[in-house]
Amino acid sequence: MPRVTVVPHDVRVQARPGESVVDALRRAGWRSRYRCRRGGCGVCKVPLVEGRVDYPQPVAESVLAAAERDSGLCLPCRAVPVTDVVVDLGAEPLRAVLASTALPRTGFSRTTEQEGR
Amino acid sequence: MAVIRLGYVHVRVTDLAQARQHYQETLGMDPVHEEDGRVYLKSWDEDDHHSVVLEEGGVGLVKFGYKVTGDGTLDAIETRARSFGASCERMSKGDNAGVGDGLRVTLPSDHVLELYSDVEYLGTNVGKLNPAPWPRGLRGIGVPRINHALITTEDPALLERFFQDVLAFRPAERLVAGDEDSDLVGSWMYCGDQPHDIAFVKGANGKLHHFAYEVDDWSALLRAGDVMSMDDVPIDFGPARHGITRGGTIYFFDPSGNRNEVFSGGYRTGPDFRPITWTMDQAARGINYTHREIDQAFLEVVT
Ligand code: FES
Ligand SMILES: [Fe+2]
Repeated sequence: MPRVTVVPHDVRVQARPGESVVDALRRAGWRSRYRCRRGGCGVCKVPLVEGRVDYPQPVAESVLAAAERDSGLCLPCRAVPVTDVVVDLGAEPLRAVLASTALPRTGFSRTTEQEGR
Repeated sequence: MAVIRLGYVHVRVTDLAQARQHYQETLGMDPVHEEDGRVYLKSWDEDDHHSVVLEEGGVGLVKFGYKVTGDGTLDAIETRARSFGASCERMSKGDNAGVGDGLRVTLPSDHVLELYSDVEYLGTNVGKLNPAPWPRGLRGIGVPRINHALITTEDPALLERFFQDVLAFRPAERLVAGDEDSDLVGSWMYCGDQPHDIAFVKGANGKLHHFAYEVDDWSALLRAGDVMSMDDVPIDFGPARHGITRGGTIYFFDPSGNRNEVFSGGYRTGPDFRPITWTMDQAARGINYTHREIDQAFLEVVT
């Protein structure tokens, strides 16, 4: 599992396969700066200092332009780490939250989602 | 001779399959027509062909349409729009599936607004003869109809004048930073007797802040929130009451990050309604009367 490091806060969390930077942080109890969490608003956009990310969901060019990607920006709500990554969230502090991840869509499930915190 | 209501909103989505899941299964709209890269959808209590169009590629507003009465309204609007200095062109039957000839206007805010009176009638899902109050087998929230849109503009005073002079809308509520025209921050305007059919706040031209569905009441709103939790839909804020319009609200995001709202209640207006003023020091209360606090980013986040 790739490791996500947030600077300047120096918070480290593990990202599950397919999990975005924002979701990995949320699962570990951290709320970073975001609004839509769906790659539409650009509010979460920050520098990717180290490592590589992938965008399994298409992201609009108007939100994250190719030139911005080349210049090292990423969209943490949609960016899925493929290596260990370091993102620079700047001055805005991480806020501690207790966030619930998505549930399986149908009824009762035995899946446990507990190892995260 | 009048504008009747918001007829349709046409938005871009990054992934059509995910957008369909949201608009069909979570919101409960029915697909009525498909062509390459586009789906046309209708809510159960709407008569006309469609009220939402999803187009694959990007995010944000392509255009929106208002339905007008058929008695020469389009000609009158065209004349007034031209003398206002707005660019407009005739649109033809088939430019939008199910919609006839009409008028396409580029607003002073760069948004594309389409006006039409001729549109294919499909009817509600309960019919017009001894109808049930709601249809069985609704999916998800089961939204009955769309209600209004909120867009952003660099010059709210100019856009307010356009809607007033060209389309005969009236402001129900105005958010002001001072007494000058240039101090207008936002305006909530109506064409019938709702508190708003269009609203706009100061921001970038051409952008969509949200479009809203009307639901019956506060408990329908809370139930909508339940469905959003089941489907892990990101909530922006709510359930809460708006000071402006007095409506109940939940703001949420579609899978591409376009903001949607479910809206309930609100008062009635009409041609003799006198506009309400909100001052900037009470803007947070105007938008979220319950919590009296909104994130700075709330008004700025658009697609
Ligand atoms: S939070 Fe909206 S794009 Fe990431
Ligand atoms: Fe609204």
